[in-house]
Amino acid sequence: MEEEETYLELYLNQCAAQDGLAPPRSPLFSPVVPYDMYILNASNPETAFNSNPEVKETCGGFSSVDLSFLPDELTQEDKNQPVIGSKHETEENSESQSRLPSPSDIGLGSNSPSLSNPHSQQHPSDTDSVQASPEKPDSNSLPLASITPMTPVTSVSECCGIVPQLQNIVSTVNLACKLDLKKIALHAKNAEYNPKRFAAVIMRIREPRTTALIFSSGKMVCTGARSEEQSRLAARKYARVVQKLGFPARFLDFKIQNMVGSCDVKFPIRLEGLVLTHQQFSSYEPELFPGLIYRMVKPRIVLLIFVSGKVVLTGAKERSEICEAFENIYPILKGFKKA
Amino acid sequence: MNNTAASPMASATSSSGRSTGKSVSFATELQSMMYSLGDARRPLHETAVLVEDVVHTQLINLLQQAAEVSQLRGARVITPEDLLFLMRKDKKKLRRLLKYMFIRDYKSKIVKGIDEDDLLEDKLSGSNNANKRQKIAQDFLNSIDQTGELLAMFEDDEIDEVKQERMERAERQTRIMDSAQYAEFCESRQLSFSKKASKFRDWLDCSSMEIKPNVVAMEILAYLAYETVAQLVDLALLVRQDMVTKAGDPFSHAISATFIQYHNSAESTAACGVEAHGNAIQPCHIREAIRRYSHKIGPLSPFTILALLPRLECGDMILAHCDICLPDSNSSPAKPLK
Repeated sequence: MEEEETYLELYLNQCAAQDGLAPPRSPLFSPVVPYDMYILNASNPETAFNSNPEVKETCGGFSSVDLSFLPDELTQEDKNQPVIGSKHETEENSESQSRLPSPSDIGLGSNSPSLSNPHSQQHPSDTDSVQASPEKPDSNSLPLASITPMTPVTSVSECCGIVPQLQNIVSTVNLACKLDLKKIALHAKNAEYNPKRFAAVIMRIREPRTTALIFSSGKMVCTGARSEEQSRLAARKYARVVQKLGFPARFLDFKIQNMVGSCDVKFPIRLEGLVLTHQQFSSYEPELFPGLIYRMVKPRIVLLIFVSGKVVLTGAKERSEICEAFENIYPILKGFKKA
Repeated sequence: MNNTAASPMASATSSSGRSTGKSVSFATELQSMMYSLGDARRPLHETAVLVEDVVHTQLINLLQQAAEVSQLRGARVITPEDLLFLMRKDKKKLRRLLKYMFIRDYKSKIVKGIDEDDLLEDKLSGSNNANKRQKIAQDFLNSIDQTGELLAMFEDDEIDEVKQERMERAERQTRIMDSAQYAEFCESRQLSFSKKASKFRDWLDCSSMEIKPNVVAMEILAYLAYETVAQLVDLALLVRQDMVTKAGDPFSHAISATFIQYHNSAESTAACGVEAHGNAIQPCHIREAIRRYSHKIGPLSPFTILALLPRLECGDMILAHCDICLPDSNSSPAKPLK
């Protein structure tokens, strides 16, 4: 509890020091926040983190982990104390650790090592506090400020066990050395290189079945994996291929840029009703695209909802965002079930 | 007007009685489109043929004007800028068009990120495609804007009254459907002129033109055609509702078409199937709508629905406002349509 408060103060000082950064509470918890403002706020703590790693070591890491998931179920607790927003993020983070179903835990577990990898010496306290918090039984009783949830409170069991399946993960990694693309294309198997068309080598491996774009600057994009570990494993394999060709390749800044998941609610949905009641979040132009595009603000996920009941979720940086977004949308979709 | 509508009524596909003997007809697609926009389940074929005629005339006019504008510029293709230039006077319609273009860009961006192969394709073809329609629109409006009004439209977040009314009508229509009907309705809604691009081009007889529109311009034309159909259906529904005499209600003329439709459908859900033809829009409704809204232009000049939209918007807005002020259906003295 003590260490969380010091991290909290550091984080708040960082936020207060940044110009033009709205207080973390309002954009995150207001239901009708403009989409742009939310993006600006959410990305700022992360950029601050990246640029000043040695100064903001612990609190910066905290913000990039905390802001991403805030389960709505916590809002049913006591709301009388006007504590500042980010404190609840830390508490809710601990809540989410203990309550989310196991696939999310695995996801989180693999994420924190990946976060700590490039800055390993800076984050032992971060991962410790994140992992130690489930052991605190009194975190449930902590009061929350008056958060206005955008969507009705849902419990995990309401989704009837439907868990979105990940379909595609896009990640980037920096190999940190200049590469000779022609040499790579000549010597590597399954590599294409057409400099007139595109300035990168396209390499594919069969296990995990992925595709990579390797640029001469040393940066690489890996797509097609179906889980975070697979994406990381595939990226490592590509890096090894490059290494074996004689380049001093390293494995820096592995970051998952986008995750796409999909699932099926198994009932038809009346999209006309949904677009009317959630106008500020959805757009539905059936002559353009058969699905409704729903831009959820918290978490910042785009959902494509189809009449058949299939839902595609994209724009997530972590698995928990996809699960949370689905948990948020499921009761809304049930309300527009076409009998 | 009456002659051209009467002659092709007999056969489904022949259009030799009309302007240039074109063999392409969108009548069946238009019937589905009109259903999705608020008409009865089986719209009348004659109505569809008439609507097709009207839309065709409008688009040919628009294309000719756009071709003239391109020629003034010395260009060899009709670009979206020419179409935007023609629409610069009508802010509401222009705003709707811009919103459509942005949504189109956004949808491409999202859908591209979903599929891995699409993502690679996009990277390979160069990442200049992102938001291209938005860029085109912004650059062009920047260049012609003298007073700052046009650029202000990009930040404008007002609710589009007409679109709102259409959404509400669709919602009411779908509320009473079962899943099979709803599936059919959704398929009808997905129809558009841009899905049948080559047929659309033939329909407009683009190949015989000297200056042809490019890809984005064709998208805009398809959208404008769809908008014209939607406007015609909106107006025809209004006219149809006006034609019913209601006894004893001094405010009945102020009740909007959507309100009456709701009241009607709430009372006669069982009879919906039987009345499918009875509720369909008749060609006379369309003609009356056109007559009503073209009297300002003059008897000799061809009417242009697209240019008339300021008036149409005003009419719809007033009626939409009246709808809000009215008491709910239980206490309303208005008689249902019969």
